[in-house]
Amino acid sequence: MSYRDFHPYLLSLLILFTAVPLAFAASGFFALGAVMIAAIAFSHTRNLLRATQIAEQRRRAADEQLCRTEKLSTVDEISAGIAHEINNPLGIIAQETQWIQHLLQSEPLKDAKTVGDLRDSLREISIQVDRCKEIVHKLLNLAREMEPVIQGADINDLIKNMVALIEREAATKNIRVTKLLEPDLPIVYSDPPLVRQVVLNLLINATHAVDKDGTITVTTKSNENDSVEIAVTDTGSGISKENLNKIFTPFFSTKPQGKGTGLGLAICRGIIERLGGRISVTSDVGESTTFTIHLPIHREPEGAK
Amino acid sequence: MEKFRVLIVDDEVDFVETIVKRLIDRGLEVDGVHSGPEALDLMDTKDFDVVILDVKMPGMDGIETLRAMKKKRPLTEVIMLTGHGSVESGIQGLQLGAYNYVMKPVPLDDLLKQMTQAYERKLIEEERSRQAGSQAIPERV
Repeated sequence: MSYRDFHPYLLSLLILFTAVPLAFAASGFFALGAVMIAAIAFSHTRNLLRATQIAEQRRRAADEQLCRTEKLSTVDEISAGIAHEINNPLGIIAQETQWIQHLLQSEPLKDAKTVGDLRDSLREISIQVDRCKEIVHKLLNLAREMEPVIQGADINDLIKNMVALIEREAATKNIRVTKLLEPDLPIVYSDPPLVRQVVLNLLINATHAVDKDGTITVTTKSNENDSVEIAVTDTGSGISKENLNKIFTPFFSTKPQGKGTGLGLAICRGIIERLGGRISVTSDVGESTTFTIHLPIHREPEGAK
Repeated sequence: MEKFRVLIVDDEVDFVETIVKRLIDRGLEVDGVHSGPEALDLMDTKDFDVVILDVKMPGMDGIETLRAMKKKRPLTEVIMLTGHGSVESGIQGLQLGAYNYVMKPVPLDDLLKQMTQAYERKLIEEERSRQAGSQAIPERV
């Protein structure tokens, strides 16, 4: 026990010590009284200390949470800001491209020799503009303040549904998908299409991580604290410790340029947090990676927290 | 079961014919068409609650059709049907706002369950936009 822990109890000890002279000078009755007062003082102090400690812990946890949320939403806001700014010029590029394509159909140009090449490059511009538009769309979705539509969902059914979508392709690469679903999982009140999107995204990531010859395991279980847990484990190459921290950040990707925008997991995180849940990841490099989602059984209405 | 309006879009004529018949038998109001453009035209004149949309169609495919449908009628719920588990289009469809993505062949009762849930979602969203009242619908990309 350090001095800091001991200090608040000094008063109760002093009162306790007065019991000794009191017993000699006055009577046992007074001494007993002093002992009782000391005991009351002690228990009061202890309760007070405990309450202070709990309050302190809560405040610290809240601070941490706030700090994290703020950091994330700044990244999201910047992304959305950029997306908004890029969206308009993109629209103009797309329109002008269509206009040029239209002009190339007109009489004097139609049969010119180089027009074929021109058309080819305009087509390529269109394709690339569409690609940019898709990224912009995803970014805007990431930050959009949209209110989920809450419906009862059988999470096991939902998972079977999404696994069915990847199973065939996984089988061609000799990837086995195992489902360890808890029977009698409670109905979860959440936004089913959003949860589907996250589950499918995790399954697709898992197939990419395994590449070939491996296993993907999907687990569900219910927790005491009114939440269900969905875990997707793959026997892929794992994620290094330094990348693990960045994995939910927008635009972070370890895939080669042009493959994947690095927005998938950022979107997953955004969705799950909007549903009042949490998503986390653990990984053994060279062994396996597990993404775990905790979803509240009853999503709290916005602003209730 | 409450009667809601369903549109089936699939290039397989036989499939559409059978499913339309069976869903009408279950008490739903059902139309069937065989391509994306046909579906979009019909949606101009008629409001549907739930659309069953095949992913793989010649010409305008399911994803393109879904995109156009969501632009035209954001509240209409769309369930995508796929014969082969095309993973990338699956995630794309869900991101574009599809209610679900279902592998063919699907037992009618399962499909009906999905459709009812999709309809329920549409009712919730309609109620919400009514409550929002005169508030402008947020601009979509």
